[in-house]
Amino acid sequence: MKTRWADDEDDAAAEAQRKREKEDKKRAKAEKARKLEEAEKLRQQEAQAAATARNGANDGTHHLSERPVKRRRLSPEREGDGAQPQPPQPRKLLRFAAPEWGPCRHVDNFERLNHIEEGSYGFVSRARETATGEIVALKKLKMDTATDGFPVTALREIQTLKASRHRHIVDLREVVVGDTLNDVFLVMDFLEHDLKTLQEDMAEPFLPSEIKTLLLQLSSAVEYLHDNWILHRDLKTSNILMNNRGEIKIADFGMARYFGDPPPPNMTQLVVTLWYRAPELLLGTDKYDRAIDMWSLGCIFGELLTKEPLLQGKNEVDELSKIFELCGIPTEESWPGFKRLPNARSLRLPPSKQNVGSVIRAKFPFLTTTGSQLLSSLLSLNPARRPTASEVLAHPYFREDPRPKSTAMFPTFPSKAGQEKRRRHASPDAPMRGDAPRIHSELDFSGIFAGRENEESGAGFQLKLI
Amino acid sequence: MSILVNPLATVDQISQSGSQLDGVPADLENSIRFAGARLTQAAGILLRLPQDIIAQAIVIFTRFFVGPEGGSLKEYGAKDVSAGSLYLMAKLSSTPRSPRSVLNVYAYLDSFPSTFVDASEFDKEKDPESYYLTEGTYRARRTLLLKTEALILRVLGFQTHVALPYTLCINYLQTLDVFSHPESQDLAKRAFAQLNTLLLSPQLVYLTHQPYDLATAAIYLAAREVGVKLPDEEWWEVFDTDREELGFLVVAMRSMEGFAAEEKRKWGKRKVPLTVEEVEGELERRSLLNGEG
Repeated sequence: MKTRWADDEDDAAAEAQRKREKEDKKRAKAEKARKLEEAEKLRQQEAQAAATARNGANDGTHHLSERPVKRRRLSPEREGDGAQPQPPQPRKLLRFAAPEWGPCRHVDNFERLNHIEEGSYGFVSRARETATGEIVALKKLKMDTATDGFPVTALREIQTLKASRHRHIVDLREVVVGDTLNDVFLVMDFLEHDLKTLQEDMAEPFLPSEIKTLLLQLSSAVEYLHDNWILHRDLKTSNILMNNRGEIKIADFGMARYFGDPPPPNMTQLVVTLWYRAPELLLGTDKYDRAIDMWSLGCIFGELLTKEPLLQGKNEVDELSKIFELCGIPTEESWPGFKRLPNARSLRLPPSKQNVGSVIRAKFPFLTTTGSQLLSSLLSLNPARRPTASEVLAHPYFREDPRPKSTAMFPTFPSKAGQEKRRRHASPDAPMRGDAPRIHSELDFSGIFAGRENEESGAGFQLKLI
Repeated sequence: MSILVNPLATVDQISQSGSQLDGVPADLENSIRFAGARLTQAAGILLRLPQDIIAQAIVIFTRFFVGPEGGSLKEYGAKDVSAGSLYLMAKLSSTPRSPRSVLNVYAYLDSFPSTFVDASEFDKEKDPESYYLTEGTYRARRTLLLKTEALILRVLGFQTHVALPYTLCINYLQTLDVFSHPESQDLAKRAFAQLNTLLLSPQLVYLTHQPYDLATAAIYLAAREVGVKLPDEEWWEVFDTDREELGFLVVAMRSMEGFAAEEKRKWGKRKVPLTVEEVEGELERRSLLNGEG
C-alpha cells in the first residue's frame, strides 16, 4: 500500500476529509511535524548564514559579543554582504525583538474537549492543540453587532490582551478563525479554576495568609495594566482564574480599553458588573479613571474575606443603597463635587449628619486594623481617595503577620472546568452595549439608616438594632 | 514599551508580495500603494480624523498588501482596503466614524477624474449628484466595507498595534534642547512633515524601521533643511539609531519628492487603478502596448 502522507499533491484534497476521519487527524499531525522540521532547518540555515556573515564582518576584532545580536536584514542575503567594514568601536544600541504578523490559523488545529462557560462576550471551551497536545482555553467571540462590523469590544479585548504580558494576566497565544468571517476564536492559557466557582465549593473562606497572596498577585496585575494605560473595567471573582499552584490570572478583557490622562471623552458608564461597580459610575459619570478598577478590587477583597459577594444589589438603585449602607453617605467634604454627577441630583440623602459613616470596620470583625484600613480606602466613595495599585502593593497589611502564603503551599482543588459542565453563575452579567439607564425618579435612601439614632453607641463598640 | 516598538515585516514579506505572485508588476504595485496611501490620507482629512489615526490606517493598509500571504491587488481593491483600514483604526480610537461617513467621503474622492488632481480642484463647487450614494449602493458598499474590515484583521492576524514616531519626535527634540532656538517651531513642523511624507514611501519604512529610527532621521533631515545646528557628536546613537539606518532613512526621505513627481508625470490625467477590475484593465492595456511595441 502506498503511504498516504508521502503524497504532497493530494494534500489539499485530503485537508477537507480531515474533519471526518479520525485517522486523517494523525496524518495532519505528521504533516505539521514535517513542516515544523523544515522550518526549523530553514531557520538553522539562516542563522548559520547570518552567523557567517557576522563572523566575516567581525574578523580581527574582539567585539563579537558586543555587537547587537538581533539585527534585521532588510533584503535577502546576498554574497559579499559579509565583507562590509565595521566601525572600529561599535557602541551598544538598544534593540527590541520586534513581533511579526501573519494570517490567522484555522480553528481546526484545535480539538474541542468540553464546554466551560458562556460569558456575556463568548463561549469558552477547553481544547487541545492537535499538533502539540497542549491544553488551552478557546473562546469564541460573539458577533451580534452586525451593523458596525467587527465588535469594537472584541477588538479592544484582542488589542489589550496582546499588549499585556504579565505573570498574572492570562496569555493570549493567538487568534484563530473558522470558515466564515464570523468565526473568531481566542486561544488562551487554560487554568483549572475561577475564583467564583472555587469559592462556591469551598467550605471555609480562604485563610488570611492566602487572601494576602491572592490580593498581591491581583494588585500586581492591575498595576501592570494601569501602568500601560489599560482599564480592565470588569474585575470580579469570576474573571479571575486560578491554577492548582495557587497562581491567579486576570481574564476576560471584553470591557477593557486604553485610556489617557485626561480621560478620553464619551467613555460609557455601562461598565463593570453591577456588584463590583464603583459609585461614581452608578451616579453616571463619564469621566472616570483607574479608581473604578480599584473599587472592584475592594469588592473582591471583601468577597475573599467572607466567601460571599460584598454588595449584591438587585439593580442600580439597590446597589447604590447597599454601597451607602456599607460605606456611609457621601458629603461635600468627603467627596467634593459628587452632587454635580448626573444621577446625584435625584438622590435624597438622610438629613442627619450623625451615624452615617462607614461600617466596614464593624462588618469585618476578624480583619486587623491595617487590613480594614486597606479595605476602607479601596472602598472610598470619593474615587480620588482610593489608593493606586502600587500603593496597595506597598500597604503594611501585607507585611504584618500572618505573612502572605507562598503559592506553592496553596491547597489544590478538583477542577470543575476540567471535566464538568458548570452551573450558570447567579451574579448579574456585565452590562451590554447601549444607552445607560438613567435614574429619573426620586430616590429615597433615607430609609437605610432608619433606626440608627436608636442604636446604642458606646466607647469603641456599637450595638446594632436589626 | 509598546509606544517604542512596532511589529516589523520579515525579509520574506518585504521581498515578495501576493500581488507580485499574481503577476502584478512591481512598478504598478508601487504606484497603487502610493495612490492608496494618499487616498487614505485625503479621506482621513475629510473625515476630520486626527493625523495619528490616519497614519495608523496607512500603516495597516501597507501591511495588508505585503508578503506572500498578504492580500493581492488582483483579489482586493486598494480603495476598499484603504476604506477598511481607516474605518477599523477610527473605530479603535476615541474618534470613531460611521460607515456612512466613510463611504460618502470615498465616493466624493472617487468623483474626481484623475488621481493626481490639482489642489485647487478641491475648492471648486462640485455637483453633489456626482458623488451621491443611493440607498442601494450604500448598503452594498457597507456590506463590502465590513467584510473588508474582517479580512484585514484575518490577514494581519489581528495585529492592529501601530506605534508612531510623532510623540517620540517631540520628546527627542526636547531632549536635544532645541525648543529654545528661534527656528524650533519650523524644525518641529518640518520633522512632522517628513514623517507624514514617509508614510507614502515606496520603501515601506514604517514596516521595516522602528518609530525611534524614523523620529531620529526626521529630526536629522529637518534640522539640515531649517538650518538648526544639532550637536557635533553622534547624537542619533542616544536614540538608538545607528549611522547606517540614519543614512538609509534620510535618503528615503530625500527621494520622495522625485518619486512623487515621477508618479504624477507617469499617470498624468489618468487614474491609478484602485479596484480589482481597474488593475485587470491596466494589465490588459500594458500587454496590448507591449504586443504592439
